[in-house]
Amino acid sequence: MIYKLYKTTFGQNAVITVGVEPQVSFLFDPANTDYQQYLKWVEAGNQPEPAEEV
Amino acid sequence: MPLILTGTSGSTTLDSSAGLTFSDSSNQAAAASPFGLKNRIINGDCRIDQRNAGAVVTPANGAYTLDRWGVNQFANASKFSVQQSSTVPTGFNNSLLVTSLSAYSVGVSDIYAIFQRIEGYNVADLGWGTANAQTVTLSFWVRSSLTGTFGGAFQNDAGDRAYPFTYTISSANTWEQKTITVAGDTTGTWLKTNGSGLQITFGLGVGSNRSATAGAWAAGNYGSATGATSVVGTNGATFYITGVQFEIGSTATPFERRLYGQELANCQRYLPATYLSAHPGWCYATTGAIFAAPFAVPSRVYPSGLSVTPASCIVYNGALSTAIPSAIAWNGATVYEGNFATTTSAILTLGQSGGFTGNILWTGCEL
Repeated sequence: MIYKLYKTTFGQNAVITVGVEPQVSFLFDPANTDYQQYLKWVEAGNQPEPAEEV
Repeated sequence: MPLILTGTSGSTTLDSSAGLTFSDSSNQAAAASPFGLKNRIINGDCRIDQRNAGAVVTPANGAYTLDRWGVNQFANASKFSVQQSSTVPTGFNNSLLVTSLSAYSVGVSDIYAIFQRIEGYNVADLGWGTANAQTVTLSFWVRSSLTGTFGGAFQNDAGDRAYPFTYTISSANTWEQKTITVAGDTTGTWLKTNGSGLQITFGLGVGSNRSATAGAWAAGNYGSATGATSVVGTNGATFYITGVQFEIGSTATPFERRLYGQELANCQRYLPATYLSAHPGWCYATTGAIFAAPFAVPSRVYPSGLSVTPASCIVYNGALSTAIPSAIAWNGATVYEGNFATTTSAILTLGQSGGFTGNILWTGCEL
C-alpha cells in the first residue's frame, strides 16, 4: 500500500492510495476509517508520497 | 378462556397465550406495532453488503463490513473475519458470519465485537437520559459452533454508560432466537441528532476491563458482560447473527420486513453509492476532469472520501473517445452529492465537457 498526498481542485489537503484496488481517497477526517488506517500506517514509520495538484 | 368469533367462513380465536388465530389458521402471536419503523436496526437481516458483495474480509478495528455493521478488533488485528452468509434460520436469506482466525487469549483491555450504532434521530423518542426512559427489547437469531453464555452491551456515544447483557447458546451449530429486554437508562447523555444515539455491541471476546456485570446499567465503556464466551478464543469458531431487531416495549415482536429498496436507501444514508453512466462533467486539463455524482438519499454527513476501482471506469471526451482513468480522487461533497476528479491520458480538451461511467462508494458517513 502506498499513500500519496494531493490537493483537491478546491485546495483541500487529501490522501489517495496508489497501486491497489479499490483505490481510496479521503480528507484528513478523523471519522473516516480509511484516514484512521492511514494514520496507523504513518505511525508505523511510513511516509506518503508528496502532494501535487490533481 | 379463548374468545371465539364464528362467522359464515369459519371462526377467529383470540387467546391470551396463542394470540389471534384466523379462520385460515394463520396466527398473529404478538400485538402489531402501533407505529411505523418499529425496528431501529438497519440491515438487521444482513441482506445488504455494498462494500464486499458477499466476499470474506478481515476488517480492521473500527471498520465496517455488511452495511451498518462495524467491528472492534482491539488490541490486535486479524483475529476474526466477517462475511455475508446464506446460512440462515427459516424466514431469512442472509446472516453475518464471524469466523475466528486463531485461538487468541484476550487481554484485559481488548475488545473483539461486532456492533451497530443507531443514529440519534432514530432513537430520540426513547427518552433515555430522562425520567421517561422507555423500556426496549432487542431480539436476534444467533448460531455458533460454541455453546455457553455470550455477552453484549448497550452503550452511549460518550462511552460512560453501558448495560451489559448475556444470552445463552444451548446447542452448537443451531439457530436460536434470543430476546433481551431492558428498562431504559434514566441518566447519562444519549445523543438525539445525527451522532451515535445508541450502540448495540455483540461481544466476541472482551477483556475484563471492558466487561461488567450483566443486567444493570453501569458508568463505563463496557462492551460485554463479565465471564462471557470468547469466540476469538477458539480457532475456527463460528458465530452467525441475523434478524436483529431493536424496538420500544417489553415484547419482541416479529421481525419487521422492509422492502429491499427501502432498506437499501436506509443503508445509503451511511454509505452512499453512485452508479453513473456517461455522466457529464467538465475538463479542467487535457488529463483531468471533474464530475458531480448525485446521491439517491441525503447522507448522514457529507462523505469525506471515496472508494472506487478505476480499471472498471471510463472517461469520455466530447468526441466520445475514451480512456481508463489511472486515478479517481475525492474532490468535494455535500450530503446530496459527491464530487470527484479523474486523471487519464491526454484525451480531454480544456474547458469542454466530458463523461464518466463507473461505480463509486462514498465513505466517512458511518457512525
